Amino acid sequence: MDWMRVVMSRCAALIGRRRRDEELDEELRAHLELAAEENVRRGMGMEEARTAALRAFGGVTQTKEAYRAERGWPLMGQVGRDLRFGFRQSRRSPGFAMTAILTLALGLGANTAIFSLIEALLLRPLPVPHPEELALVFASRVNNLHSGFSMPLFQALEKRHDIFEHSAAFDARPMQVRGSSGNLEVPGGMVSGEFFQVLETPPLLGRYLTPMDDREGGGAGGFGAVISESFWRAWFHSAPDVVGSKLMIADTPFTVVGVMPKSFVWAEPTERADIYVPTWAEPVIDAPYSNLANGYRTVWLRVIARRNPGVSLGQANAALRAVSNPVLEAAIPDANWIADARRDHFQFTAEPGAGGLSLLRWNFERPLIVIFSMCGAMLLLACLNLASLLMARATARGRELATRLALGASRRRLIQQLMAESLLIALLGTAAGLAAAPVVSRSLAALLAGTNRYAMMDTSLDLRVFLFVAGMAVAATVMIGLIPAIRATGSNLSDQIKNGSHTMPARERFRLLPGVLLGLEVALALILAVGAGLLTASLARLYGTGLGFDPKGLVNIHFDMGKQSLDDDALARWYRAFGDALRHLRGVSSVTFEGQTPLTGSTWSDDGVHSPFSNGNQTVYENLIAPDYFRTLRIPILAGRDFQWEDNSTTEAKIVLSQSAARKLFPGQNAVGQKVTGHHGKSYRVIAVVGDIHYTSIREAAAVAAYLPISQAVWHKASYTAVVRLDGPAVPLAVAARSLVGRMAPGVPAPVMTTMSNVLDASIRSDRMMAMLSVFFAVCALLVTAIGLYGTLAYTTARRTSEIGIRMALGAQRAQVVGMVVRENVWIAYGGSLAGLAVAWLASRTLASFLYGTSVHDPWVLVESVVVLILVASVASLLPALRAAWIDPMRALRTE
Amino acid sequence: MGGDKSDVLQGTLDLMVLKTLEAMGPLHGYGIARRIEQVSENALTLNQGTIYPALLRLEQRGWVKAEWGLSEANRRAKFYTLSALGQRRIKEETESWERTAATMARFLAPES
Repeated sequence: MDWMRVVMSRCAALIGRRRRDEELDEELRAHLELAAEENVRRGMGMEEARTAALRAFGGVTQTKEAYRAERGWPLMGQVGRDLRFGFRQSRRSPGFAMTAILTLALGLGANTAIFSLIEALLLRPLPVPHPEELALVFASRVNNLHSGFSMPLFQALEKRHDIFEHSAAFDARPMQVRGSSGNLEVPGGMVSGEFFQVLETPPLLGRYLTPMDDREGGGAGGFGAVISESFWRAWFHSAPDVVGSKLMIADTPFTVVGVMPKSFVWAEPTERADIYVPTWAEPVIDAPYSNLANGYRTVWLRVIARRNPGVSLGQANAALRAVSNPVLEAAIPDANWIADARRDHFQFTAEPGAGGLSLLRWNFERPLIVIFSMCGAMLLLACLNLASLLMARATARGRELATRLALGASRRRLIQQLMAESLLIALLGTAAGLAAAPVVSRSLAALLAGTNRYAMMDTSLDLRVFLFVAGMAVAATVMIGLIPAIRATGSNLSDQIKNGSHTMPARERFRLLPGVLLGLEVALALILAVGAGLLTASLARLYGTGLGFDPKGLVNIHFDMGKQSLDDDALARWYRAFGDALRHLRGVSSVTFEGQTPLTGSTWSDDGVHSPFSNGNQTVYENLIAPDYFRTLRIPILAGRDFQWEDNSTTEAKIVLSQSAARKLFPGQNAVGQKVTGHHGKSYRVIAVVGDIHYTSIREAAAVAAYLPISQAVWHKASYTAVVRLDGPAVPLAVAARSLVGRMAPGVPAPVMTTMSNVLDASIRSDRMMAMLSVFFAVCALLVTAIGLYGTLAYTTARRTSEIGIRMALGAQRAQVVGMVVRENVWIAYGGSLAGLAVAWLASRTLASFLYGTSVHDPWVLVESVVVLILVASVASLLPALRAAWIDPMRALRTE
Repeated sequence: MGGDKSDVLQGTLDLMVLKTLEAMGPLHGYGIARRIEQVSENALTLNQGTIYPALLRLEQRGWVKAEWGLSEANRRAKFYTLSALGQRRIKEETESWERTAATMARFLAPES
């Protein structure tokens, strides 16, 4: 414990240094005077007494020095002086300092930004007690390892308290909450009874939901709801008596029983939720539909659980495996279903759940890690670059350093001083990078969120990010400073003086290391360039893919009709009227409706479609559409006719097939006029065959699809998305459509508009992010490499001025001089490119799964990258060479 | 002066200071230095100044406490007092010294 007291008192001594010095002075003065007085008492004269006292004391100044060394942190004063010295050095060459700080800021800023995303998405645990005890539970099958639960399945598992202390099911859901002007959409979650017990976070006000609330019809006073702190502040204006007040959700009163604090993050950390209701309220929230009523057939719940203390994840998994079959049998009343599940190796599995469950994480984990490694390569490159620049500069300062060594400075002291300079650069670069990082990470987070309005990512800089940055800064300092410092202090003065200041002393001996550093830099730059080239080529091919429809100028208007009073034919008539009204708005050329928007990833399919000619059952993607769909999306009608509003429930059921579907169901025949049957046995008359479109994603080949008219749909209160083709800008339409919905369907939440281009962009946002960032990194890398090649060559050339002068005086031609200077960098560029190409050839395989229609060894990309790199290197090397070739020999010799 | 004088052994000064404070009660730096000289009967070459870094070390470890007071000649001086921690320290140090001294004595004793 002694050392702690010492450290603390030393630290305390850092403040009030002057006062402490004065006290020491006074104490020593008192000592000397006391001694002198005693000497006088012994009979000495005044002067003699004082001298004797001083002699007995020893050196006063030395004592003070020794005292101060003991008191504070003497090293700190030294470092401070070195930093000031470094600062003055940097000010003498502001160009160098600026370049150094900027390159480091770029490298560190990008790394920090990406790391804070990784932290937010992959590393940060839920802010709950003992997050490591949490586990995500899946009902996995061979073809879907991460499948969720149906209600009966979860309820059967929930009872097994031997494995988990508590377990909970949840599902995110936007909810319609009655406001002063109709219903508003609020993001929320449905949670089972033990949900809050699993997360163990106490409420800010009131209580949380318990198993007593999660029952049919809710607790004693109907369904309860827990709200978030931010919702409480915004909706209830922070009213302290909010507990007990009513909230109209989905036209049903819910009682607010509690408020969760701002720090609470529910089980889906990247999905906002402001209202939590029991899972038994699902039929109310989802009305007119109900997942609960569908029982075991609808999988809609995710499960998170807290392990019993002392039960490891492995043990939990073993226990889950053991109960899989009994639970399955207890939960599912359908023998066929159970047989199916067994065939697919159904079993419960648990995975670490400290970070909760996040779709964003699943989607972006691998892209982020790839991007992070590119980012790391760029930082390494920036450091290599600074190291070689500092090395070149230290060589230029060789004589100064040698002199100081000869005068008795210790080598350690000089290295420390040179390191202080790199520390200064690293500190300023880190600071600049840190300042820029939040902006970058926020915009990247927005890019990742895509069209999800309720996505949230907390990319704020937390402790782990700071530790990461600090570690990076230290590593950067050492990397950029240590090698040059050690090398620069290695020469001795006599060499320096013997060789004079204008030649290159012992050049041959030292040439290898800077060459290797620069070569590495070139190699890294090439790797990054190849990566960027591949990802951009893939992105270009994604955008170049024919979708089968024309996304430009399409706007989707989505609104929720589930909670208003119209239904069936009346609702179909409303849609028709709404479409007509939209069509009359300015700039609108055609209007239609659809059940699913292509490329959003939300699809609907029937795996039991057949015809007399088909080879058994076929899986067909289906979509509900209104008349004019094909004209609006510009999908060609190859045969037959479009739907009409008159194709309603009183007429024969009709269907339109895509070309691929027609080929599958009616091989070699004309499909129009024939009949197809769905898995539930209902038959449809084919009235047209239309072109294929990419329904699920750009990557997936054109889908086997069928279209059904919404006027014949059997769904109740279905919500369709209006699709509008525009001639003009989308903004006036947004305003007009909003007021139109407000007029024609009062009380329905405001519609959500997205352009089809946005949907398209969002569907490939991970490709976009990777391409954009990799291009950014590659451009930076090329720039930094150019600076490095230019800078080091400029330094060495400047030192050869007189040598070049002599050569020219002796008759060397300018071209020869250029060749002589450039030669050095040519080797570096070629060597580096070759090494980089070899690594890129091997490393690009990691990109394979991200690339679309692009080979990892795409010859064009490889050739282009090398050409660009050689071009950049040539320009960077030619500048100093040309300058050298235009040296005036007379002037050069005179400066000797 | 001159004659048989030895330098203060590293680490022994601390114990001397502590012992002095134990024997004399609160004392200022000069007093401590003089007392050490007297007790050692001038056998040590002690630069009185070295007492101050030593006192600082002891203070940092919490073995002595320092406060300003008035000397016998009514002069402001910093007085050092032994703390409870310091008391304990003396015991430990003394024991360790005695062990060392005993060991050394065995080595130095004429072989029998």
